[in-house]
Amino acid sequence: MSESNPTPSAPPEPKSGASRRTYVLVFVALAVITALEVGVTYLPVPRVPVLVPLALIKAGLVALFYMHLKYDRRVFGLVFLAGLLMGVGLILSLLALFAPGA
Amino acid sequence: MHSSTTTPPAEPTALGISSQKLGIWVLLGSEAVFFSSLIVTYIVFHGRGTSGPTSHQVLDVTLTAVNTFVLICSSLTMVTALSAIERGAATATRNWLAATALLGLAFLTGQAFEFTKLAGLGVSIGGNLFGATFFTLTGFHGAHVLAGVIWIGFVLARALRGGLTQQKHEAVELVGLYWHFVDLVWIIIFTVVYLI
Repeated sequence: MSESNPTPSAPPEPKSGASRRTYVLVFVALAVITALEVGVTYLPVPRVPVLVPLALIKAGLVALFYMHLKYDRRVFGLVFLAGLLMGVGLILSLLALFAPGA
Repeated sequence: MHSSTTTPPAEPTALGISSQKLGIWVLLGSEAVFFSSLIVTYIVFHGRGTSGPTSHQVLDVTLTAVNTFVLICSSLTMVTALSAIERGAATATRNWLAATALLGLAFLTGQAFEFTKLAGLGVSIGGNLFGATFFTLTGFHGAHVLAGVIWIGFVLARALRGGLTQQKHEAVELVGLYWHFVDLVWIIIFTVVYLI
């Protein structure tokens, strides 16, 4: 009986793959990194080499866990990656052409 | 008892995946190119103005950091709404969707406050290259947030009518993907425009 009728204390696992605990941990990581980023602006350190990787880590956390690319079908990630690569290519090309000192 | 008003499930593609979900990912890929063009335009041109205030003179990092935190909170509430409907918790889903919409409105209020403050400091879209590129980039992002809030409103209305169930909830997932993408774009804008 119990095999065919699960107890109410055992809810089904979410389809999206991640647990609520994971979502909260990602939120904490995003908040802490944001605080770090703001803190960096008050320190005498080069900003681009520090802040750009931190932003990419945050963006990666959102894409992998909140947008479920870590758990979902790979084709979705590939479609998105195609757009991202075109965007990054656009940014690098235009920076090479028009950035101050280029 | 099949209702004549029941929405049919999305057609699967040849890959066996939801055509609606694939469509959203194609949209987000194209949006990535769109925002890349705006971001690089800001990077190249914002410092080339010969008159008027510059970004470092007028932008308020603290205010925007609070606004960034609001958007991060909204991503958590959105993904919690999806988790709730996947468990069949309809009331929790409605509450988390409403919380997400309210946080989106809070972000837009903060952005409106910032734009008003900048206008008072003499920054305008036609004033100099900083103003033109800044308002174009952040304005388009704000328009995307507004579109997301309206979309969440439609999904919330559907949830209130009982149109979302544990088995049929793709609408929450689709609006969630869009919402998280808007958050992701803001993460990059916050770094490029306000911090660097």
